[in-house]
Amino acid sequence: MTLEELCRQIPLEVRTAARKLGAEVTGGYASDLLSCVMAKAQEGNVWVTLQSHPNIVAVASLLNLAGIIITEGIVPGAATVEKAEQEGIPILMTELATFTVVGRLFECGVPGVD
Amino acid sequence: MPGITRAQELVYELKIEDVMTREVITVPPQISMTELREILREHRISGVPVLENGVLVGIISIEDLIKALAAGEMGATVEKKMTRDPVFLYADEPVVMAVNRFRRPGFGRFPVVDNGKNLIGILTRGDIIEGLLKKLEVEYHEEEIRHYRASHIFEDIVSDCTSLILRYNIVARDLEHAGEASSNIKLVLTRLEIPRQHVRRVAIATYEAEMNIVLHADEGGEIVAEVQPRQIVIRVTDTGPGIADIEQAMQPGFSTASRWMRELGFGAGMGLSNIQSCVDEMRLESPPGTGTFLEAVIYLNREGEK
Amino acid sequence: MKLGEVVSIVEGTLLFDADLNVEVPCAGAADLMSDVLAFAEPGSVLLTGLCNPQVVRSVEMADMVAIIFVRGKHPPPETVALAKEKGIPSVTTPHTMFEMCGRLYEAGLRGCDISCRIDLVR
Repeated sequence: MTLEELCRQIPLEVRTAARKLGAEVTGGYASDLLSCVMAKAQEGNVWVTLQSHPNIVAVASLLNLAGIIITEGIVPGAATVEKAEQEGIPILMTELATFTVVGRLFECGVPGVD
Repeated sequence: MPGITRAQELVYELKIEDVMTREVITVPPQISMTELREILREHRISGVPVLENGVLVGIISIEDLIKALAAGEMGATVEKKMTRDPVFLYADEPVVMAVNRFRRPGFGRFPVVDNGKNLIGILTRGDIIEGLLKKLEVEYHEEEIRHYRASHIFEDIVSDCTSLILRYNIVARDLEHAGEASSNIKLVLTRLEIPRQHVRRVAIATYEAEMNIVLHADEGGEIVAEVQPRQIVIRVTDTGPGIADIEQAMQPGFSTASRWMRELGFGAGMGLSNIQSCVDEMRLESPPGTGTFLEAVIYLNREGEK
Repeated sequence: MKLGEVVSIVEGTLLFDADLNVEVPCAGAADLMSDVLAFAEPGSVLLTGLCNPQVVRSVEMADMVAIIFVRGKHPPPETVALAKEKGIPSVTTPHTMFEMCGRLYEAGLRGCDISCRIDLVR
């Protein structure tokens, strides 16, 4: 499943890098701790978090993640958005809580990575 | 099952002397089994220690009596039919010792002696159960009393406005004890019978404030919760770096937290907005270089909703 | 859903004996305690990758009922001791937060967000 399809299914609002939604999502990772994401998330994963700090873009870019879903209606600040556009990292937003977003991703067939 | 766990703890905490029966019926060795039967029947008991000149020499029970009856030996003396050198317990041993002894078959009661081996009591399974139940009931009752006392604290005080002030010192960077003040505030408010929803709002607001002090204020600070009949006022003072731009600090997601604070799960920039969403009034002052003062008020309306 | 069912779905190991016969209305997943304090519904269960005692404090303040430590993390003794003292059942599971949210959601447990609140009203 691609990010574009997930944006329709969950649903998610696209905040940055709309041109990069065609990539196939390889799996999902949920954590608000950057060090855990650095240690465990795999290339092509979609990352679910409520962190909105510019550092999340650096982490996603470093790991070649498919995109970041920011939950709970948190709106990333200008610095984060600018950096994500630069790096071509899609940031997707939702009012839903992390638990629910992950539940729906799981239902759409996005697997967890162990 | 908290009750069972507590009972398990109690068998280690309680001593045998706390649960034993102190008024012990004893018999001398010379009486007959017929006389023994009358004594057991009269006191409605199923066994007694046998004492000779104040010294424990044996124990005799209803089972011995039944055997004697079946054998037609009711005229025999207790001395002939008793168990000699009976197993006894020391009064200052924990109850668990007795529990273990009772696991072995054939033991219905144990004589209890002091350190000079003088008989001072007797212990049956029933005594243990009764002792545990009493203790559990007392503990439950004590919490009820604390609850009752706290919830009626204002009733006999005559003044135009009575309030209760809870003051807690918060130590900077003390992550081990971080949260204890809020936990205590929550406990006190619960005992005061303040509705749950209000208690929860106060607890969340004070906890966020407490973590702010622990993480950001180099010299620590203070949390004061003032419980008034119609509202709770929380005042938080610290001598930290202060807040450069209060409006910015109130924005969800804005944070000055360092990496280690974030990895602890704090510093996502939600603290102040969390406090604001829990309270009815909030005032934040932070003149440059003097630390931060936060005052928040929670109304105690009946619904408990903001 | 009963807490016992939640524990078996996440293949969790209890960190100490606890009563699992508690009804759990919904769940939340987060590593940021302020978020826990903001979203948590009273009575809900928390899934987290953090292990410090502040997790227990946050759960206590928010009136949540249980903690699931994900990714096989064993919280340090001070965290376990505090959870035991506060009577908050705690389990550890080897699986990721993503996997656990997915399985619980699939089994019918809902998140502590607005849609959950609407579901509860219905």
